[in-house]
Amino acid sequence: MAARPEVYVLGGYQTDFARNWTKENKHFSALMREGVRGALERCDIAPEEVESAHVGNFAAELYCMQGHLGAFFTEVDPKFSGVPTSRHEAACASGSIAILAASAEIEAGRYDLQAVVGIEQMKTVSAAQGGSYLGTAAWYDLEAKGVEFPFPKLFGRLGDEYDRRYGLKDEHLAEISRINYENAKLNANAQTRTWYMNKQHALCRTEDNPAVGGRIRISDCSQVTDGAVCVFLASRAYAEKWAKGRGVELAKIPRVKGWGHNTARLRFDDKIAESRDQQYVLPHVRSTITSAWKRAGIADVNGVDGIETHDCFTTSEYMAIDHFGITAPGESWKAVEAGWLEIDGKHPINPSGGLIGAGHPVGATGVRQLLDAALQVTGQAGDYQVEGARNFQTLNIGGSGTTSVSFVVGL
Amino acid sequence: MSSTPAQMRRLAGSRPLQHVVVLGANGTMGYGAAALFTQAIPRVTFLARSREKAQEGLQAAIKQVRSETVGNRADVGSYEELDAKLATADLVFEALTEDFALKKQMFDRVEKSRRADSIVATVTSGLSINELAEGRGDSFRRHFLGLHLFNPPNVIVGTELIGGRETDPAVLDFIEAFSRVRLGREIVRTHDAPAFAGNRVGFKVLNEVAQLAEQIGPVLADRLVGPYTGRAMTPLATIDLVGWDIHRAIVDNVYEKTQDEAHATLKLPDYMAKAMQRGVLGNKSGAGFFKKEGKTSLALDPASGDYRPVAEIKLPKLGYIDRVAALHNVGRYAEGMQAFLAAEEPEAEIARRVIAGYISYAFHRVGEVTDAITGIDLIMATGFNWAPPSVLVDTMGARASVELIERAGLPVPQALRDAARGAARPFFHHPQLNVGKFFVAN
Repeated sequence: MAARPEVYVLGGYQTDFARNWTKENKHFSALMREGVRGALERCDIAPEEVESAHVGNFAAELYCMQGHLGAFFTEVDPKFSGVPTSRHEAACASGSIAILAASAEIEAGRYDLQAVVGIEQMKTVSAAQGGSYLGTAAWYDLEAKGVEFPFPKLFGRLGDEYDRRYGLKDEHLAEISRINYENAKLNANAQTRTWYMNKQHALCRTEDNPAVGGRIRISDCSQVTDGAVCVFLASRAYAEKWAKGRGVELAKIPRVKGWGHNTARLRFDDKIAESRDQQYVLPHVRSTITSAWKRAGIADVNGVDGIETHDCFTTSEYMAIDHFGITAPGESWKAVEAGWLEIDGKHPINPSGGLIGAGHPVGATGVRQLLDAALQVTGQAGDYQVEGARNFQTLNIGGSGTTSVSFVVGL
Repeated sequence: MSSTPAQMRRLAGSRPLQHVVVLGANGTMGYGAAALFTQAIPRVTFLARSREKAQEGLQAAIKQVRSETVGNRADVGSYEELDAKLATADLVFEALTEDFALKKQMFDRVEKSRRADSIVATVTSGLSINELAEGRGDSFRRHFLGLHLFNPPNVIVGTELIGGRETDPAVLDFIEAFSRVRLGREIVRTHDAPAFAGNRVGFKVLNEVAQLAEQIGPVLADRLVGPYTGRAMTPLATIDLVGWDIHRAIVDNVYEKTQDEAHATLKLPDYMAKAMQRGVLGNKSGAGFFKKEGKTSLALDPASGDYRPVAEIKLPKLGYIDRVAALHNVGRYAEGMQAFLAAEEPEAEIARRVIAGYISYAFHRVGEVTDAITGIDLIMATGFNWAPPSVLVDTMGARASVELIERAGLPVPQALRDAARGAARPFFHHPQLNVGKFFVAN
């Protein structure tokens, strides 16, 4: 079989996830515009060079009463008029699905330069209304209808399942929260950079840190976030030309070395029933991670220098730790206690702050993770740079462990 | 400070910082800073004139960050206990009232009680670090610095770090690393100049708008220099929030200690001094430029000192602000600012003069308050939440910025003249800072 054509990540731009675009009195199109224009400027790419665009978004129809988001890309610059665009949706994994589609088109030789935009504006509605909208990422009628904040409850049950199979202590979840908030303090674009947090607060069981679903408390949750992230993906031919123009070796431009993608059954109960006799609680997530390694030619987690994972709740990060093979199944707590997940630890997870610390604009998250991975392996992650990183992996999850996508990005 | 991020993280943990004593912990900045410290420092001592006052500070800190866990790391005391408390302190953080003599007296006591290796920081918003250190022993002077947080520190990350002539550079590097890594601060190093960088530039603009209010009223003044010009909060609402007494302390200090090209704009308006005699101090006294009576918003009439319902104050037609805001609304900031520059309404000229003054004044302070414009840019962005001067120049264009300043009859900074002649190159470089957020569509 011929070698798969390479897909390069030229760079990109993230909006500040602390921003509230409703308070700034800005329309959805401003969010798109800032994300894309920022990436054009950052990567020094002329608009007429862009051949195609893919937009990842979960629910603009609900949050912003706006569909047909691919077309909004053409509003960013007159030169984009006529550029083929599309929109992709897979709940919180929407951004990664857009990346998969764009990279597949590069691999197929259709286009040489693609824009991928992940975008979500969520602060347009109340917390309860937003929580209900997010419920459409589950089987709404069966799992979310009439339930206040359905997702914290679903991921609370993920914790309960770990507890049942292996035992789970809240102090380990609190430590995961603490690390994500602390890393976010290093990230100028993180939503929680100024929020009050330490392990004691995360363990606090009073009104200061209320329960929102089973064992999930506010400190265990990712955030309601407005944000857009745009990255440029390129073929080898374009990347060579682009690198030459900047006086950079092609070997210094990161590539998408491997990917994994699985979709499990929609209902949480069905997933758990399927994995009843298995070591991994969410085996399809494990499969996504290992297939990304296989395609990247990596044996295991020691082949990557850090991870940007989907910590929509502390329980999802707790699950990711053993699914990445950092510990044996059920022993994620050992990595927490050993300090391996810290930014300067053996297996840094979410140096950006992740979804808990940096924020979670649903459709943008997968693209944000890919951009952070690319920044890490090129030494451009600023204060949250993992020293000497050459390979980084992402894990982006839609629904209650339903759609999983993982990328290995490296030099 | 030049080091890799990993080196900076190691530096942040290179020196024990287990105990901080906050002096003046019942004041707004004292308890705000103390709350911030409890996230990263195991023991935080709240000290005030009395134990009761310190306890009030602790309660205010808990309320500010909404976490009772602040109390787990805190202890309280009065200045009578200074000796005992300072015996274990790695950092002494002074947050007394902005009174030079008072601070000096406190440092007399601190110097007697502090450990020789403890760091002493003052949060002064503009008093001279060198003058505060004058007459102290070697150890004190080597360990003394200014760490100017902006209020409230749990919201605003911009922080100025000021060394004195004899401050140990290693101490400054450590405090910078610790503040960035553990406290999430955006650190700007400034010179020991009156009001440092942020307040020098920011309060010049605020005071100029307060002067304007005397002629056109506070409602119109705030509308003209409103969010669409590159800020989250309007200028006079900002003075009300900060407190008129603080505003006065800052502008009086700068007016007295400096003689720059915009000296007159730093003179506190007489109507403000008179209103302060009646107890007007902004939000903390319930009345400033604006106040609320029930659901009615009222605005000060500078001439009479009376308040009038905002709804009854007639403003001229300001269609240009709607045009600018409509462009900002869809993210077309450069076009929005072009519409501002081109607006023919006479009121637009008033607003343009203030913006021209801001840019001109900021660029003329390079060398005096910071080494480069980047420091002023960063503190205006992260301390004031205003579009930094360089961002305005980049957004409007260097040539248009020069014309704007010339038309206002203000001195044009040489750097802008050079930029206007050459090819367009952005002044503002910060790989992580969004500039669009400053152009609010109101």
